[in-house]
Amino acid sequence: MTENPARESRLLRGVHRTVTGLHPALESIVAAIVGLLIGAVLMYIWGFDPWKAYWALLRGAYGGSYEWASSLARATPLILTALTFSICVRAGMFNIGAEGQMMMGAMAAVCVALFAAPTVLHLIIGLVFAAVAGALWSVVPAILKVSRGVSEVISTIMFNWIGRWLALYLAIYVIVDRMRPEKTLTVPVTARFPILVRGTDLSASIFLAVGVALVMYFLLWHTTMGYEVRAAGLNPTAARYGGIRSKRTMIISFLLGGITAGLAGATIAMGLPPSYAIFGGGAFPELTNLGFDGMAVAMVGRNHPIGILVAALFFGGLNAGGRVMQFYGSNPVPLEMIRVVMGAIVLAMAIPELIRLFPAIKNQGERFFAVLRRRRETRSKEGKA
Amino acid sequence: MNENAGPEARRDADSYFLRAEGITKIYSDGTVALKKATLEIHPHEIIGLLGENGAGKTTLTKILSGLLPPTRGRVVSPRGPVRFASPREALDFGIGMVHQHFALVGTFTATENVALSHEKPFSLIRLAKTRERLEALMEESGLRVPLDVPVEKLAVGEQQRVEILKVLFRDVRLLILDEPTSVLTPLEVDELFALLRKLKEKGTSVILITHKLKEVQSITDRIVVLRHGEMVGDVRTAEATTERLAQLMVGKTLEGEPTAFELSAEQLPRALSASRKKEFSGEGILHVIDLVARGNTREIAVNGVTFDVHGGEIFGIAGVEGNGQSELVECLTGLRVPVSGTATIRGTNILGKDPRQIYRLGVAHVPEDRWRLGLVLPFTLAENAILGVHRWEEFQGPFGILRRGKVNQHVRKLMDRFDIQATGPNAPAKSLSGGNQQKLIVGRELAKDPAIVVASQPTRGLDIGAAKYIRDLLIEMRDNGRAILLVSADLDEVLALADRLAIMYEGRFMTSCRPDTLNREQIGMLMGGVACKEVA
Repeated sequence: MTENPARESRLLRGVHRTVTGLHPALESIVAAIVGLLIGAVLMYIWGFDPWKAYWALLRGAYGGSYEWASSLARATPLILTALTFSICVRAGMFNIGAEGQMMMGAMAAVCVALFAAPTVLHLIIGLVFAAVAGALWSVVPAILKVSRGVSEVISTIMFNWIGRWLALYLAIYVIVDRMRPEKTLTVPVTARFPILVRGTDLSASIFLAVGVALVMYFLLWHTTMGYEVRAAGLNPTAARYGGIRSKRTMIISFLLGGITAGLAGATIAMGLPPSYAIFGGGAFPELTNLGFDGMAVAMVGRNHPIGILVAALFFGGLNAGGRVMQFYGSNPVPLEMIRVVMGAIVLAMAIPELIRLFPAIKNQGERFFAVLRRRRETRSKEGKA
Repeated sequence: MNENAGPEARRDADSYFLRAEGITKIYSDGTVALKKATLEIHPHEIIGLLGENGAGKTTLTKILSGLLPPTRGRVVSPRGPVRFASPREALDFGIGMVHQHFALVGTFTATENVALSHEKPFSLIRLAKTRERLEALMEESGLRVPLDVPVEKLAVGEQQRVEILKVLFRDVRLLILDEPTSVLTPLEVDELFALLRKLKEKGTSVILITHKLKEVQSITDRIVVLRHGEMVGDVRTAEATTERLAQLMVGKTLEGEPTAFELSAEQLPRALSASRKKEFSGEGILHVIDLVARGNTREIAVNGVTFDVHGGEIFGIAGVEGNGQSELVECLTGLRVPVSGTATIRGTNILGKDPRQIYRLGVAHVPEDRWRLGLVLPFTLAENAILGVHRWEEFQGPFGILRRGKVNQHVRKLMDRFDIQATGPNAPAKSLSGGNQQKLIVGRELAKDPAIVVASQPTRGLDIGAAKYIRDLLIEMRDNGRAILLVSADLDEVLALADRLAIMYEGRFMTSCRPDTLNREQIGMLMGGVACKEVA
């Protein structure tokens, strides 16, 4: 049990720094290209034309203002859930719980439909609700970690499930739309994010996401609190020596992470036309996986708020363009292929770690053959004797 | 005796089992750990390997047991030269080593641990057979351990016995033990020594690494002394006196110079200047009374130490590492909660407080491990320069903003004043050389304007220039009336700097006096656990 921190720091190794010695941004780009290539090979094997498919993907993602708007709209919640993961990584912890925290945030945001308020105020109240709900859902695992030593990896995953089913219960029985029981109450117009580009999903929630990313950047790199959080994440013993209370930085990072995850839920409930509601029927089609995809975005964005903005735009583009890919040409590529590409990119991010293993594997092999050779020699010697 | 020895008993009594010839080991970072060491190991022999930290004891045994290849030199058996690519090959040859830190799987039983260590990869583990042989072995050697309890539930002494069984299970003819008694109770030490004598009867050779003079004299046949990687003595135990061994271990006293520390004479002119002779009249700053603390493995590491440190003096704590110095420093700097005792700084209790509260009382801490404790390596120079002082008023802007401009100003001042060579405040700390990293830490701590500086191994691993610079800084602080607690395994350093000296051995102070009242032999004996009275 005493080895736990060591094992976890080993888990976290390589998250902050690059292994290949390349610039982190370059490493992420290489990983993205490798992922796309793997996707191309798979498409080729299954008889699709990868170049046509990717061309469709590119046009569907960034081919015009409508496409850009769609990509940005899909990037919005990913920015926020990616921030959840990366803030906690910077503090030296794995918060896998963005999914559950985001769902709680979405439910809290829907609650604004229960009362009336003036336009902007209504929206702000909804955001506060979502942020508080996300933070509450996030801080419980952090408190368990700090007080009882419960691994945050395990507890946040469990909290994802509790959160998901609790949210489903709320969506189906409590804040349900009595007329259309498959969805929750509709967020009233006064509490909606205004649409930025007519006919698209892109709402002003993108400003919220970008703003939060910038605030988090400032918080982590330009405040005393951020300094303490990063110090505790990089070297907990040195932080303790420096008078930093790591329990405090853990709680802070989880609170901040929960807030951003909760806001991600709010951008869906209050910013996604046309329904402005969450569908309990079909078990949250708009929400599911946003938290986990956020982790992929955080990794590609190298856990840096600015890197996350770029990575989220890329992943948003994949999601938006993927829809176009599936009705393009005579032999359309199914949407699932895009998820394969995403998976391949995340795997490619881990390849530098694998490269480092090669010398060790080589050493082991050489040693093995040396043993074989020596054994053969002694055997032949014995034979002669 | 020969009837007990195995099939290899063809050798006559004076033929050797193994000989290390001219072994030199240079580590990749350029450290010369061993210089042309030559050691002949005979059957029926217990050899004591004696030396201070970094003398090369462990390096030599690691080479013999196949953990490290020698840079130059060779290991020879009567049948010709041998080379071990791994500990397993050495074990096949009959050389087994029990390390200071055990290599046991905590959740496995003793039987499973032994089975694990001797089975080849992919072979079947035959637990019943292992257990049978193990029981026979326990009967034969008198080394009893519970076989069906997970080893993590066993006492440390029992765990060590499992380690020894693991090695004996392979019929070793040379058993190497690295500081085996440091974790044992006196009774367990007696049991261990009884076993070693029994093994010796059977013809096994034993190498015992230790720094405890009494032990080495009570059990060994021959004592080999290493100092700074060189073999400075190879004496029969019967002929060796405690004084002689202590002298060999810590170095010779030069004729005519009462305290001739080679280092100090040229490097520390100011330390040897008149300042030491004066009686310090500074106020008492740190008072420690009867402090008891446990180490990381719950053993009693600090066993009732009492001392105080005054302004204007350097209080040095010498001793072989691992005798409780680290734990003592951690207690005083808020990193460890002691079991009992009191410690006050200017009358305010510091025990059980966290580092931040202790720093507020005017404590600066130069930690022993600069990479683990002193620095956040991926951080920049500037970020590291404010670790621990980052909540200073002058760095705080509105809304908790860290004023980067002020921080950089502070760093530039430090870089100027403490001669830190770096490309700028934003250079990553890991790009700095070891000397500059240490200057950064020392500078950061001294810039706190502390009442007391707790410096633990402040010059370890530094080149002569940087070490001298840091020692001069400590002296300067002392002359400015600050109290300094210096803990160092480098005896020369403590002797040169300290106004008063304590020698720590197994969690206690062996003595506390002015350094010039002791000669080197006495110090060597104290470090080895032989009290002054017994000497006189």
